[in-house]
Amino acid sequence: MAKARAIIKRLKAVRNVRKITRTMELVATARFKKAMDRASQAAAYTRKISEIVADLSNSMQEGSTSFQHPLLQQRDTEKKSILLVITSNRGLCGGYNGGVLRHAQTRIRQTRSDNIPLDIEVSGKRGIGFFKFQKIATAASYTHFEDKPTFDEVDVLAKRFIDLFIHGHIDRLDIAYTRFETMARQKAVIETLLPIGKLQPTDAGAAKTATGAVATAAAKPKVDYDFLPSPKEILEEIVPASFKAKLFKCFLDAAVSEQIARMVAMKSATDNADEMIRSIRAQYNRARQSQITSELSEIIGGAAALE
Amino acid sequence: MSGGDKLRLIVVTPERTLLDEPVASLRFPLYDGDIGILPGRLPLIGRLGVGELHITAAAGETSYFVDGGFVQVIGPNVTLLTNRAVLASELSADEAEKQLTAALAKGAITDEEVTARFAEQQRARKMLALAEKSE
Repeated sequence: MAKARAIIKRLKAVRNVRKITRTMELVATARFKKAMDRASQAAAYTRKISEIVADLSNSMQEGSTSFQHPLLQQRDTEKKSILLVITSNRGLCGGYNGGVLRHAQTRIRQTRSDNIPLDIEVSGKRGIGFFKFQKIATAASYTHFEDKPTFDEVDVLAKRFIDLFIHGHIDRLDIAYTRFETMARQKAVIETLLPIGKLQPTDAGAAKTATGAVATAAAKPKVDYDFLPSPKEILEEIVPASFKAKLFKCFLDAAVSEQIARMVAMKSATDNADEMIRSIRAQYNRARQSQITSELSEIIGGAAALE
Repeated sequence: MSGGDKLRLIVVTPERTLLDEPVASLRFPLYDGDIGILPGRLPLIGRLGVGELHITAAAGETSYFVDGGFVQVIGPNVTLLTNRAVLASELSADEAEKQLTAALAKGAITDEEVTARFAEQQRARKMLALAEKSE
């Protein structure tokens, strides 16, 4: 009897866990949809910016004025850099944080061997906990970026990074986050956001922007735009705007990927719980049956002894 | 120019596409002053200033407060890229006034800081003016 009861207890426990993981899965799915909507709505801005950049650089080529912006310039020597690590505030999302942190560590090791001072900034409690455990000092940490990062929040960070970079306090900004590629694939990556490198092609012809998107305007016949003010001045403004949009996109991507990772993790946890429930129930049935059999044989044995 | 809504206005902020609708004409601030757009405008790319985006459509007139950015006019499509666009009726004069006093009280030593402070003051003034107008 005792064994069957123990199995029942286990069954109940697994069932409870399953309930929790199943709920978390549903919550993550709902959150993912919201985050996805936000990300796809934000994509319009990035797309438009790269379109304008392509138009601008097309007309710039005619004037043959080479364009320079402090944010675009590659520095010869790296004296100091910043690494921003975007992790989640909550756990139970599979390998999501692990992947990002592994990449971050590679970068940290690399700068250490190159002897470049590196400031680490972390967003998300998971990352903060990790660096504390590893006894790696962090320069700043943020926990307010949840699954709905707003542009205003990111703008504050972006402005600070631009300031630091232009004044020469940092020579490079890397960001470790999970890039959203498709529904089925998200990849932890490290990207260099500053210097931006090439915003527009320096040689004529190709019209790919640094954002990676092929500007749609390039395919269209060339349009003679009125520029107010000159293309150069507009570009000067658009470079920081494009950086901000990029940084914002990183946060959005990370938010979407986190929800997907959690969804997947919770889905497999639920499936696993289902399987466990099935095997425990089979075990219980067998235990119950053998108990009944033994009780029966005891009764029969007792009756036989009385005769 | 009452031949219906011939322009298509798209207002995009980094977070979402705020507006995508047909309009008859519009007026918004460029870096050096307001510009009006009517159907048939030649292609244009410009830098936005801070101030009121005034939309005239068949449905009526609406105003938004836009805070810098870029504009692209191509054919009938007018795209505004801006960091922030708020309905004028949702602006609060008190809030704008607070921002103005904060901007006025701010200390500035270097040239950059002085320019930044001036820009902030202008921004607050424009916001205040628009908020008061729409009240």
